[in-house]
Amino acid sequence: MKAEDKKPSRRERLAKKIKTNLSMTVRELFEQIDEDRSRPKAMAYFDSIFKNFTGGGENVVQVPEGQKVIGTYCVFVPEELVYAAGAHPVRLCAGTYESSEVGEEYLPDVACPMVKSEMGLETMPILDFYQKCDLVALPGSCHWKLKMAEMLEERKPVHVLDVPRIKERENSRQYWLEEVKNFKAAVEKTTGTRITRKTLKGAIRTVQAAQVEVHRFFELRKAIPAPILGRDALAVMNAYFYDDVSRWAAALAELNDELEQRIAEGVHVAPASSARILLTGSPMVFPNWKVPMIIEDLGGVLVADEFCTSQRYLSDMVAMDEGTLNDMMMAIAERYVLPCSCPMFSNTLERRDKLLQLIEEAQVEGVIYHILKGCHPYDIELKMMEKLMQDKGIPMLKIETDYSPQDVEQLRTRIEAFQETLRGRRRVQ
Amino acid sequence: MNVQRLRLISQFVFFVLLTYGGLFAIDLGSRMPTFSCAFVPDNGGSCFLIGFQHMLSRPLPEFLGEQGIRLLKSLGIVALWAVVINKAWCGWICPFGLMQDLLTRLRNLVFIDMSRFGWVTRKRYKSVKYILLALLILIPLGIGNGVPGLSRDWTAPFCQMCPARPLMPLFRGDFSEFHIDFSSWPGLALTTIAVILVGLLFTSAFVKRRFLCSYCPMLAVLSLFDKVGFLSLNKDGQKCTRCGNCSRACPMEIREIEEEKTLSNLVTQDCILCLKCIDACPENQALEARFLGMPIYTASAEGFLKRQNVDLLRLKRKKKR
Repeated sequence: MKAEDKKPSRRERLAKKIKTNLSMTVRELFEQIDEDRSRPKAMAYFDSIFKNFTGGGENVVQVPEGQKVIGTYCVFVPEELVYAAGAHPVRLCAGTYESSEVGEEYLPDVACPMVKSEMGLETMPILDFYQKCDLVALPGSCHWKLKMAEMLEERKPVHVLDVPRIKERENSRQYWLEEVKNFKAAVEKTTGTRITRKTLKGAIRTVQAAQVEVHRFFELRKAIPAPILGRDALAVMNAYFYDDVSRWAAALAELNDELEQRIAEGVHVAPASSARILLTGSPMVFPNWKVPMIIEDLGGVLVADEFCTSQRYLSDMVAMDEGTLNDMMMAIAERYVLPCSCPMFSNTLERRDKLLQLIEEAQVEGVIYHILKGCHPYDIELKMMEKLMQDKGIPMLKIETDYSPQDVEQLRTRIEAFQETLRGRRRVQ
Repeated sequence: MNVQRLRLISQFVFFVLLTYGGLFAIDLGSRMPTFSCAFVPDNGGSCFLIGFQHMLSRPLPEFLGEQGIRLLKSLGIVALWAVVINKAWCGWICPFGLMQDLLTRLRNLVFIDMSRFGWVTRKRYKSVKYILLALLILIPLGIGNGVPGLSRDWTAPFCQMCPARPLMPLFRGDFSEFHIDFSSWPGLALTTIAVILVGLLFTSAFVKRRFLCSYCPMLAVLSLFDKVGFLSLNKDGQKCTRCGNCSRACPMEIREIEEEKTLSNLVTQDCILCLKCIDACPENQALEARFLGMPIYTASAEGFLKRQNVDLLRLKRKKKR
């Protein structure tokens, strides 16, 4: 009996192998990233989170003994409620190719790579914080996520949030408010702490303070020439998934100060001649930096993005009005759904306006629309966005890919040609 | 300067001016489109509705002569007042609005939750103010033209049922209007309504914001000038994310402010120009109040943060790692 305990099972061996592969991917990625000598110094903090990603990483979900960890997916889980209950939220949306194979055991071939990757991480001991969660909050935003919740239910406590698809209606808003209240109850049950007016207000303030830096960051990114690469910006926002909110915000404030100084001194990461590109579409999570790495290696620069893992995640703030618990709950509920430009909603109005606004403000020359194979919501909206860009005369490149490194060369060729087009357009103008 | 504080100061100043102005020989006339009650002794300017109703209770042919000119002159003054600052009369001047806003502040102090109308209900109640307006025109006309059943007891019917009549003179120590009139049936009915409305003013403020304003016929009068008034509330739909902050902050629960993406001037029927929507708007230049086309108050991300009291010191170099 004892001997058997010591001997790792087949599954454990597999998990270990995946973990080793993942560490190697991360190391290789950083070898490439570190080649760039013009990166802001303040990026070191965010690198420390990712460099030792598999080993738990510095600042990755470091919680004191006894503090509860609540895993979240998508952009619809109100984190203020988690903070108010004294728990630590960690966003579990994943970008690891290595774990996808495990996920395929549970999901059909056509499932999106993100949900495959997540299923792998949820069911195998690869990354610590997936196993640490005392509760996993899963919004039923797309059907992959909704069914994933059901598959996970037998393994760990799961709370599903049903996000209404039509946000312009009174009944959907009431329904969503009830859903947020249900989530509050679930968090209270998990943590054993009651969320009060005071704790909730404090939590809102904490998140708002971080968002102030986020706003500053996205403003600074728009400068010409670009003071920071888009992949680094994605990493900064991605680090929020795992880090403590206030510590992260302080690190971002430091980065912002450095970027401000860079802009004043004219220090840049890409010359003014680089094509200014906006990236949108299916989310990108570390270490799936495939597309941004290619774009920026080829001399382009990502000056804006419209991802739920980045801009969309933290842009909108809770607006408090009267300060009662109910009022705050309503403000929180509305903040997570109403201004959200996720394609799961019935209209594309918010997304159109957001894209056009970003394009104008960041002086974007071309848009790259990233679709993960099997990510239906973004796939469905493609044609509409294509038409919008055509009408506005902005070149757009569609890239359909997954987490595997197989198509890198092919993507490189297409992105190179696209950037050549953008440069050609500039010469004509 | 916080616009809501400025608004409160303005309301206070006008409350004092209109209620006690007569004591200092101030008189802004009796043609004002706001609920400064004419029954307040020594007022500094009063509501035009009482004179309006009296003027209307004449036989119709008289309106073709001098009486008509007097009526037009009176309405002309009201229109002038209304064009210059249209709905700001409601949000920035009306003493009755001040009462409700103060009670709302009191409610906020003790953290009592408010409730909201359902969307359909809210819409349905919109017509009440027009019905009241129609009645306050038709009943006096009926009295003047001998419509059976309408005796002199119906004189100035709106004033008889208006809660400002019993309430506002109290501030001058005059309790004579705080009564129920048992001398006639119409008087009994209307004055009872007035006293009930005073009670509602105090109770409703603990349930809803600006409850009575939704039914105010003065709002119906002023809303005739929504599109021509010098003050306008403008929206740039392109910059709006439809986050709903504005309509949540709106004391009149106006939905258009959030939903509208194309229309520019958004002074809607129930808008009282309190500008709380601009306070709550986090998008640069999405909402803007203008006077004769000149911007006077514009939504901004920075202003939003200031008003939200985001504690920026919290971030002051919290030692990293």
